[in-house]
Amino acid sequence: MNGNSPQDGAPLLMVEGLRKTFRLPGGGTLTAADQISFTLPEGGSVGIVGESGSGKSTVARMLAGLERPDAGTVTVNGRDRHSARRGTRSRRDRLARAREIQMVFQDPYVSLDPRLTAGQCLRTALRLHGHPAVEDRIRSLLDRVGLGAREAEARPHELSGGQRQRLAIARALAVDPCILVLDEAVAALDVSIQAQILQLLAGIREDTGVALVFVSHDLAVVQHITDETVVMRRGTVVEQGPTDRVLRTPRHAYTRLLLTSVPHQDWDPSEVVRARAEAAEAEAA
Amino acid sequence: MTAVPAGLLPVGKRSRRSAGTTVAAGFLGLVVLAAVFAPPLAPYPPDAVDLSSSLVGTGPEHPLGTDASGQDLLSRVLYGARTSLIAPVLLLAFASVLGVALGTLAAWRGGWVDTLVSRATDVMYAFPGLLFVVLIIAVFGAGMTTSVLGLGLAFAPTIAKYTRSVALSERAKPYIDAYRVQGMGGARICVRHLVPNLARSIAGYLVVLFGEALMSLATLSYLGFGAQPPSSDWGLMVQEGQSAIVQGALLPALVPGTAIAAVVVAFNVVGVRAADRLGSRR
Repeated sequence: MNGNSPQDGAPLLMVEGLRKTFRLPGGGTLTAADQISFTLPEGGSVGIVGESGSGKSTVARMLAGLERPDAGTVTVNGRDRHSARRGTRSRRDRLARAREIQMVFQDPYVSLDPRLTAGQCLRTALRLHGHPAVEDRIRSLLDRVGLGAREAEARPHELSGGQRQRLAIARALAVDPCILVLDEAVAALDVSIQAQILQLLAGIREDTGVALVFVSHDLAVVQHITDETVVMRRGTVVEQGPTDRVLRTPRHAYTRLLLTSVPHQDWDPSEVVRARAEAAEAEAA
Repeated sequence: MTAVPAGLLPVGKRSRRSAGTTVAAGFLGLVVLAAVFAPPLAPYPPDAVDLSSSLVGTGPEHPLGTDASGQDLLSRVLYGARTSLIAPVLLLAFASVLGVALGTLAAWRGGWVDTLVSRATDVMYAFPGLLFVVLIIAVFGAGMTTSVLGLGLAFAPTIAKYTRSVALSERAKPYIDAYRVQGMGGARICVRHLVPNLARSIAGYLVVLFGEALMSLATLSYLGFGAQPPSSDWGLMVQEGQSAIVQGALLPALVPGTAIAAVVVAFNVVGVRAADRLGSRR
């Protein structure tokens, strides 16, 4: 963890009234996210769930600083992340912001530089942040995510999907962030690999105290790794609260719908389709 | 009627195509060797004038005959391979520095920068390249250096356009986002990571452009704007050999003309193949 000490009582991450609209090619606008607010304590873990197109990835990108919100603020340790105008930030400021939030992307096949070996990938990040003892740190990072010396010399196309995602996590950790945003970080992986990666993340959280923002369409995934859950639909929050409570006694119809959509024993897809039609009808009325 | 065994036809086609590429690549290799080893290979110095053997046909003394001043055509064409190969390389190097920089800038910054660069390259595009170079030569004087730099400017927009399109799709990949999240500055991302990842496809594109560059330079020399006598540049040789055609001697124009055509065709054959292979990564 880096030296930023949280202000007394204030949460590590505070998201307030976040909104983002995109202009569509046809001339209309799409509100990808509106009135998104939640907080995350130091070392905490929050899940943002919803279907494709619910705006959860847009929220993740705004947190990481890849998109500029139209309204609202993202505050880490009491510091507004979007205060400076784009392109006017100093190098120092950029690096400080990078140490607040790092991100792991959905598809490890395209989120790693194809030219760099795993070792070079981590070296680039460590050098950028002026880390002392780069080589030792590379070894310990690779070790932390379960990669060895053989993988250190491999380029991404020589690694498996799971190994690539491990490397992407190591790259994010190289910067020593307070918060790790994971945007569908296990969605592109096999189920058995998913479990390994989730376990790895839980272990890292325990060891380093890094806080997690876990964006996923998969409720089962969120259940295992988050304390709080935010349910998003069409760009707005429909329900939020402790993960246990949200999953066990969902208050909003949409959350219930999501829950019934998860395949399980005695699962009846036609029931889900019917429930969906009912929900749509209820909305129209 | 015999049925064609399934699957054989495409294979045969493929091997025929790669045979053509192999022949073309082999030929280009020979041309490069000829250029490098011109001094030991050439039977005469390229500028050795011997008026007593003017316009001699093929024979043991002069395998490809001589031109009006009695210069040995084989020797001249071998030495000419040097200018004809090095000049397009310099031209493309100059054009790529400009074109890649502009194309990357346009793709990275987007917005008005992109509009400005794109419109500027469109204007250059609409202007015939050779005409543009002739204008530059009118101002700065004829010569190989002016031709190379002028044509470099004319080629840069093409390269900028291509670079912009490949940079746009590369820039959209999450690994570039990852560098931004790491706190890396835009210039550093472009120079250290974006452009190196485009290098393969740009290189493939440059091979395709090589033939065109050689051709344009030869044209300028032919028109008298490029290489100046006593250079044995192929384009200049065609121009010098032109008058001999009236006297019934075809070789002085035909030999360098064939050299230009063969090298350009070979580069196009190899270039298309190279673009296919380098454009798609692994």
